[in-house]
Amino acid sequence: MHFSDLGSISLILALGFAILTMVVAVLGATRNIPQLVASARRCVLVVAFFLVLASASLIASFLTHDFGLTYVAQHSSLSMPWYYTTAAFYGGQEGSLLYWAMMLSVFSVIFVFTSRRAPAMLVPYVTATLMGIEAFFLLMLTTISSPFVRLPVPLPDGVGLNPLLMDPGMLIHPPTLLMGYMSFSLPFAFAVAAMITGKLDSDWLRSIRRWTLAAWSIQTAGLVLGAWWAYHVLGWGGYWGWDPVENAALFPWLTSTAFLHSAMVQERRGMLKVWNLGLVIASFALSIFGTFEVRSGLISSVHSFAYSAIGGYFLGFLCIVVVFSTGLFIYRLPRLRPEHEFESVVSREGSFLLNNLLLVGITFATLWGTLFPLISQALSRQTQTVGPPFYNSVDGPLFIALVLAMGIGPLLAWRRTSTRTLWRNIGIPALAAAACAAILPLAGIRDIWPNIAFAVCAFTAGAILYEIWRGVRVRHSHGEPYPLAIYMLIHRYRQRYGGYIVHLGLVMLAVGVIGSHFFQAQASATLRPGQEIDIAGYKLVYFGNIAQQYPNVVVETAQLQVWSDGQLQEYIYPGREFYANYSNQPSSLIPITTFGLTDLYVFLDNWNGPAQATFDVFVNPLVPLVWYGALLMLLGGITCWWPEKRRRRIDRSLSPEDIPVTVGARAELSREDTLVVAGRASVIQGTGTQAVAGLTSQAEESDSEVRDLPIGEEGAIT
Amino acid sequence: MQPDVTTLDEPVEEEKPSSRKRRRRWPISFVIGGLVILGAVIYLIYANTQANAMYYMTVSELHHCTICTTQSVRVAGTVQKGTVVHNGTQISFVISDTNGQALPVVYSGIVPDIFAPGIQVVVEGHYTGHGPFQAQTLLAKCPSKFTAAMPTP
Repeated sequence: MHFSDLGSISLILALGFAILTMVVAVLGATRNIPQLVASARRCVLVVAFFLVLASASLIASFLTHDFGLTYVAQHSSLSMPWYYTTAAFYGGQEGSLLYWAMMLSVFSVIFVFTSRRAPAMLVPYVTATLMGIEAFFLLMLTTISSPFVRLPVPLPDGVGLNPLLMDPGMLIHPPTLLMGYMSFSLPFAFAVAAMITGKLDSDWLRSIRRWTLAAWSIQTAGLVLGAWWAYHVLGWGGYWGWDPVENAALFPWLTSTAFLHSAMVQERRGMLKVWNLGLVIASFALSIFGTFEVRSGLISSVHSFAYSAIGGYFLGFLCIVVVFSTGLFIYRLPRLRPEHEFESVVSREGSFLLNNLLLVGITFATLWGTLFPLISQALSRQTQTVGPPFYNSVDGPLFIALVLAMGIGPLLAWRRTSTRTLWRNIGIPALAAAACAAILPLAGIRDIWPNIAFAVCAFTAGAILYEIWRGVRVRHSHGEPYPLAIYMLIHRYRQRYGGYIVHLGLVMLAVGVIGSHFFQAQASATLRPGQEIDIAGYKLVYFGNIAQQYPNVVVETAQLQVWSDGQLQEYIYPGREFYANYSNQPSSLIPITTFGLTDLYVFLDNWNGPAQATFDVFVNPLVPLVWYGALLMLLGGITCWWPEKRRRRIDRSLSPEDIPVTVGARAELSREDTLVVAGRASVIQGTGTQAVAGLTSQAEESDSEVRDLPIGEEGAIT
Repeated sequence: MQPDVTTLDEPVEEEKPSSRKRRRRWPISFVIGGLVILGAVIYLIYANTQANAMYYMTVSELHHCTICTTQSVRVAGTVQKGTVVHNGTQISFVISDTNGQALPVVYSGIVPDIFAPGIQVVVEGHYTGHGPFQAQTLLAKCPSKFTAAMPTP
């Protein structure tokens, strides 16, 4: 008996229970048997239990060095430290599928435990959809891609993990990115449930928005960690190379960003329902497509994966997802009529539409570039590719337009904004942009594109900061000191100000990207001891090479002094590590020294004996802003997403007399839905609480409406 | 994603007659704004595809290539053992495809970490038909085995 046997059995049981859950949940919903729905929810816990057990047994196999297991032998060795041995769990295809399935089950459990917040009618269908996706993964894990395949004879030692993966980045980037891909399942499940039941109201929207926010935040973290890792280990001086694999991770991020904005239009004005459903489905389909694209070898990427049959399975699954959801979509089209009409382009919803068109445009352009080898092959029988210049010159202007829309949007009121108000609100941001445009050329930046781009960033940053300042000033005038006023403002209107924080972060990130794209300096030279490289005000003096021997690693480094402003700043040691099992695949040690907002990035290209080395030196201005901006975006995402305690406290303090009233009111609201008349006390209690939560949140909305007024109606409040 | 753009308008078209107020749901300003953005996106994609598209071929295809003297191309192949010669900052080697067709390459610039005989590379540059292939870019296939985003130019 090995841990792996426990794992195989768990996977089969998990598959059985996942299918069972699906059937039971759908039966419970269609036959209207609440007991079945309740047992489906408990079944989700069982599925999660078996998947966690399977994952634990794989990790146990790793930690006990069970080299009789193919997967363990391929991805770990005796000499690896325990944390990389544990991380090797998701270091290969089978393990990453298991990790994905396990995380999906954990998220399903979170959904089950928080399902009282979601509209009860949707719960069985959401559960069934999640378990359907789960069953697909488990099917692959139990058949063609099992991590628990044993070797006839155990090996004495394993191959070990690829040295490129033996990096702290390995501990956080892959799990975050895989989790991000996975988490688009939840909004998708909500979309499917809503299309089946036809319940696409504001409660549904609130649930799906929340899960999308979570998915968005995780995916943001995954993308940024990937960029950060690439920057620190790959040695070409950049953090984003528009590789098909990176693009694949960007697609669902772009479409879910679009959804988060257009969902607000639906929430406030009941419009864009068709569009929103399309975006949710597209986000999930694109996350599956990404996995398919990188696994199938369909598109030539600089990443080479262990190609296998799972590409075909993913394509099949993708087809099922698209056909199934498009069918439902067409079936529900009559219900998706907009409740209001667009009145003016110069309005909040107008700016959201602009934002959506731009984001979808960027997605389409990137998809076009990624698939261009296939498209050109089909059109002209000649494979053609497009590289980073294509993406930079297509997506760059679109992103700048997006940043501009981000600045203008909050200055506009819903429905329509009069020109006079617009001009009054636009004053300060425009001043910021003008100041930026005036100062930068004087500071020596004469190129037209970076000047425009920086001015747009200044405009948007000005607009957001001005908005925050106005809010803070109002609170301050009511007697709150400034720090408390900022805190209370964000705390009180989380979604609004969380969004502003995300936007500020994105502007920072954009400034970093613009800076490093237009103003990177590079120099390469072969040096002998005593010789130096001068680049952009920095001086590097070469001393010689050092070789260090460790039991399993040989480390070759070069010693350099870094001088700036005539002063010795520090010693750096760019080099290479050679692992015993992968001596032909060294991993680089790249010292990155940050001076203010400029990175000095030194890569040891080649060396010859102890006294000659070739270096590639990059000076990357503003790159640290990319990381700070990303952190701010995450912080903002979490601020938006964080559960509001206050609301729950209100719910609990409600006296029982209040509840029937709200339930009554609610029953009238949703007469079409049979849910409220289900007659079970617990259900009524649940909906009652939700209705109250809905009311409080509406009260809060109108509260924020008051804050909106100075922007919208002229001179109403000053 | 493109189909979504059209579905945005579809229900609108259908609902026009049934609309209570019989008002146009999409004011002309929205239509114009949308068309401007769509036009801009399509123009950017079209113009940049024209400007940046690069032929991607195998060594055998390159030998029969007629346009390669004027255009930059990408060629994929495996680095042959025993052919890698370092000469200062310049490196020369021979790549070949599965048919055994060989192509000498010279390159000066950043050599990827994992560059070694036997690995798959993609070179980008000009080919005059005689002499070695002048590579401006050298890409090595990254040996990662999972879905991490790890760019190598």
